[in-house]
Amino acid sequence: MEQTTSLPPRKAQASSFLTTFRQLAHSVGPEAASGLRWSLAGLIAASALQGFGLAAIAPLLTAAATDPDLSRALMWFGVMVVLMAVASALRWIAQGFDFDGRMVRATWRLRGQLGVKLREIPLERLQDKRAGELNSMVLGNVDENLLYALTVLNLVFTAIVTPLCAALGILLFDWRLGLLLLLIFPAIIPLYHWRRPALGRGKRILSQAHQSASADVLEYTQGLPVLRAAGRAGEKAARLTQTFEKLEAIQVFGHRKGAKPNIIVASIVEVGLLIVLAFGIWLVMAGSLHAATLGALFVIVVRISEPLSTFILYTAMLEVMEAALERIGSLMATKPLPQATPEQMPTNHVIKFENVGFSYAQADRQTITAFNATLTERSLTALVGPSGCGKTTLTRLLLRHFDPQQGAITIGGVDLRNIPADRINSLISVVFQDVYLFNDTVMANIRMGRPEATDAEVIAAAEAAQCLDFIGRLPQGWQTPLGEIGGRLSGGERQRISIARALLKDAPIIVLDEPTAALDTESELAVQRALDALVASKTVIVIAHRLSTIVGADQILVIEEGALAQSGRHAELLEEGGRYARMWAAQGAAKQWLGGR
Amino acid sequence: MVTDSSTASATQGADPSVKYPDKNTKRRKHPSPWRILKPVQARVRFAMAISASSALFGLAVMVQLMMVVQRLLQDPDVVPWGWFCGAAVCTVAAYAARLGAFNQAHYAAFRLERLLRMGLADRLSKVSLGYVETQGAGALAKVIHDDVKALHVFVADSTPLYARAYVTPLVTLVLLLVLDWRLALVALVVLGIGYGILSRAQSRRRDMVRSYNAAREKVSAAVVEYVQAMPVVRNFDSGKMSFARYQEALDGYLKVMLDWYRAAGFPARFSWLVLSPMPTLTLVLGAGLLLTSMGDLSVSRWLGVLLICTGMAEAMMPMMMLRHMIEKVALSVARIEEVMNAPELAARSGAVESTDPNAPALRFEDVSFSYNNDHDQALRNISFSVAPGSVTALVGPSGAGKTTVARLIPRFWDVTSGKIELGGVDIRNMDADRLMEKVAFVFQESFLFADTIAENIRIGRPEASDEEVIAAARSAQAHGFINELPQGYDTPVGERGVFLSGGQRQRIAIARALLQSRPILVLDEATAFADPENEAELIVALSELMRGRTVIMVAHRLATIRDADQILVFNRGQIAERGKHDDLVGQGGLYARLWRNYEMAQNWSLGSGRRDAQSLTEAE
Repeated sequence: MEQTTSLPPRKAQASSFLTTFRQLAHSVGPEAASGLRWSLAGLIAASALQGFGLAAIAPLLTAAATDPDLSRALMWFGVMVVLMAVASALRWIAQGFDFDGRMVRATWRLRGQLGVKLREIPLERLQDKRAGELNSMVLGNVDENLLYALTVLNLVFTAIVTPLCAALGILLFDWRLGLLLLLIFPAIIPLYHWRRPALGRGKRILSQAHQSASADVLEYTQGLPVLRAAGRAGEKAARLTQTFEKLEAIQVFGHRKGAKPNIIVASIVEVGLLIVLAFGIWLVMAGSLHAATLGALFVIVVRISEPLSTFILYTAMLEVMEAALERIGSLMATKPLPQATPEQMPTNHVIKFENVGFSYAQADRQTITAFNATLTERSLTALVGPSGCGKTTLTRLLLRHFDPQQGAITIGGVDLRNIPADRINSLISVVFQDVYLFNDTVMANIRMGRPEATDAEVIAAAEAAQCLDFIGRLPQGWQTPLGEIGGRLSGGERQRISIARALLKDAPIIVLDEPTAALDTESELAVQRALDALVASKTVIVIAHRLSTIVGADQILVIEEGALAQSGRHAELLEEGGRYARMWAAQGAAKQWLGGR
Repeated sequence: MVTDSSTASATQGADPSVKYPDKNTKRRKHPSPWRILKPVQARVRFAMAISASSALFGLAVMVQLMMVVQRLLQDPDVVPWGWFCGAAVCTVAAYAARLGAFNQAHYAAFRLERLLRMGLADRLSKVSLGYVETQGAGALAKVIHDDVKALHVFVADSTPLYARAYVTPLVTLVLLLVLDWRLALVALVVLGIGYGILSRAQSRRRDMVRSYNAAREKVSAAVVEYVQAMPVVRNFDSGKMSFARYQEALDGYLKVMLDWYRAAGFPARFSWLVLSPMPTLTLVLGAGLLLTSMGDLSVSRWLGVLLICTGMAEAMMPMMMLRHMIEKVALSVARIEEVMNAPELAARSGAVESTDPNAPALRFEDVSFSYNNDHDQALRNISFSVAPGSVTALVGPSGAGKTTVARLIPRFWDVTSGKIELGGVDIRNMDADRLMEKVAFVFQESFLFADTIAENIRIGRPEASDEEVIAAARSAQAHGFINELPQGYDTPVGERGVFLSGGQRQRIAIARALLQSRPILVLDEATAFADPENEAELIVALSELMRGRTVIMVAHRLATIRDADQILVFNRGQIAERGKHDDLVGQGGLYARLWRNYEMAQNWSLGSGRRDAQSLTEAE
């Protein structure tokens, strides 16, 4: 919505149609573009012929009323029937683009491309957008804007081209009336452009109000236990009541603002047409127009007045469509991270951070500054430090979710930027703090670690990851779909599935992001065993909060505000004193708490 | 937060279509959306009346235009000013009335939105919290915001059209019959043919819509999964599997759409063609030509028919176009009504004061509970009592029922059988307010509002003075970090407290509970999300909070409960063991095993096994 209004104002309506068309042609793809072009041409031609067909009513009625011989009237009737029939046939054929399923196929193709694109674009860009937003882009925008494009355009054409051609047709029959009718069109456009920004403003205010109301509602439902415990729910929730009242006020305000351009254009059209009719009566009085022709003019004017006065509604739809197509276009235009040449593959798995500096796109300060570290092959390195110090960013840099602005990260001496993207992923397995389970069977969820693995291999990995006992308890065992019951698995059970995945993948480098952060005691032990199986003889990076879990690490890197504060083994760091020793002492104290007073 | 699996399930839960699968909607007839209009009925009726009058004015314009031409045909020298002015006035009136109806309907819709939202929010303050939890906060917020918003197209846009769709065809038909019954017949026949074909096109519509919705939902779910899981997807299979699933959903959708076009495309297209104004106009022109040439029809009457003959189809078509939207509205109405009708957590009539001065602070008496009545019992025959001022810990493997016990106390749900007493009074006799006076809760994850820190603490007791708020924060070990913040107690915490760490949020929640100062305290895994650096302070804060209160706590970290007065060990919905720590460890049962596991887990460090393996490989 917001983007609709931020578009620069267009000079003329025609250019807007061209933009829309270009975007449409681009979205449906090269194979369908020419079909789309023909279809649009057909729709325009049909609307034009329909307009001329309408105009034919004037001579037809005049002939019927003045000429005792039926042949002239019949001739005009024939002309009208032919025009209408051709118009209908053209429209029928043109709409075939929709009805033959060509448009649906085009949307299908576009969505497939969007899906491919999503796999390429830098994850950082992807994580900016929320899933809901992308969903509405891939599902909503594609559907609403492509599937209904022809319908909307057809409406626009009948609202503009048909009246225009009807006026032109009348011009041929009676230039005075035709000219007067044609005068209405230039009167509408500047007015429309003058008022259009108001339409956008109203919409923007409204969409903001809805957004904030929606956030407040969510806060209310999520905070219900607290609010109720405090006796401030329901009618006593003053803030929520205020939000709703404000929303209503803004809705009314926005409605008034938004309705204005529509009212103005409709008034011009209605008044203009009334003037044409009055002029027609005057011509009849002056004896230079037959009353029956005037009657025909009435019929034609009545036909064209409604679409003409409401065309703004349709152009608003066009603008929404344009904005949506633009969003899709900009997503499609997102470039994947560049692949440096020559492509190289590392021969060993020593990881080096060399003077790495990185800041996120919107951040005002560096997240990682001049970071140096070497992780020897098959060593275990722990990253510790307060939350937000940059630990996770370091692992994401290693996974090449984004590139550092300064310095380089190398695996086996090869810069990450020279390693093909899919090869990086084959080198590294990640066990995240939160486990994503797919809406598929347990078997498939584990097998995604290595799709070609045999059942026996999957089961072996699950066994090593301590999964067998709980998988056995699931209602359909290995074939249980996790979409329905994923929520019923405990954190530890989910974690073990993800470890099994990583075991199956058997990558030489393992990244663990707080894998034991939120587990129940029973699970903790099992997850610990699973992790031990996973990290055996690998190069391991672990992010840990609980220091006791990493006392055995070969190297502990203490990170503070994006920089390396201390490094060494547990014992060395304790001896050294400083940040690590303080953290260790604090956690030791916590452990001593014995639950009483 | 693309990897966040809980967001994934929340969004899935929030997706109303998941909550109301098609099976249900099929069985249950859609409620009429008209019912929901009740609070603004008068206004909507007014809008519809104006809309109907606008339709009548519109028809009056046509009649008067016809009269203008008739007069001019009879006598071209006399200006029919009367008729023309009448037509002009009626044009303005018709337009003004249409606009008025449009505005009235919109204002009614906005008012209805507010009333319904307030009603829903109020209802949620009275239902059991268990209901809120099962439905999901996200899904309920969606009902309050999105579903109510979805009514707009019905209330604001359709109601005036409804009025027109009924009034215009009827009056038009009467007028047509008065003008010329033969031409009226022609117009009717075209209409009949159009609707005949259209209804054929609609015959399989229900099934089509259902499979369309199902396919669309699948695509939607596939997109959400695909996007949210992207980091996992890229790391593990370069997206092969989930991309295949995404593509599969797209293929299914394509097939449904193509099927639909194949089955309904032709009749739909054909009926649209027949019902568009042009065929009617052409046929009436042809028939009129024939009749006038036979001298059977005056030009002015013919003209009159031409002016109004397309009105019937035109008034009815928008309704056909809106039909799809209105069906969607019916789904929203169903969801709104479901929340509106959710059972209120009412207080039973019964004693609210205990007669027994020696009654325990809390007592479970033979409590059994199941979430759905047909399902397995989550709790079976639980009995225990808690002395005032004592600490009771609930432990056990996950899924054993300890959290359920904690949540029965604030009446998230009511027991299936047995009873729970607070100070000798059945909690079902207590309404929400009374219950809240006695019990405070600190949940696993503390919820903060997008407000200042002071207000977030004060929500525990709105009338508390600044000094009391600060004292509570001090006891909760929060004063220190609050003072370091740029605006101190007036610092906004951000949406859901994002500007604070988990441990800081938790301490603010504890300050809140301290301020409430209620005799019974229920802690549900209160230390679960603490970051280790804050843990020590959090623990001091909790000890402050527990001082002098009756405490029931759910705990995983067994070290935190060694000194509890009573430990209840749950297993599969029953109390397997009970007693003090040392006795239970001595018994060598479930608790002893849990304790052993716990100690082992505490002493674990990553890769302890691998050092042996490594030394082996090095030896080779």
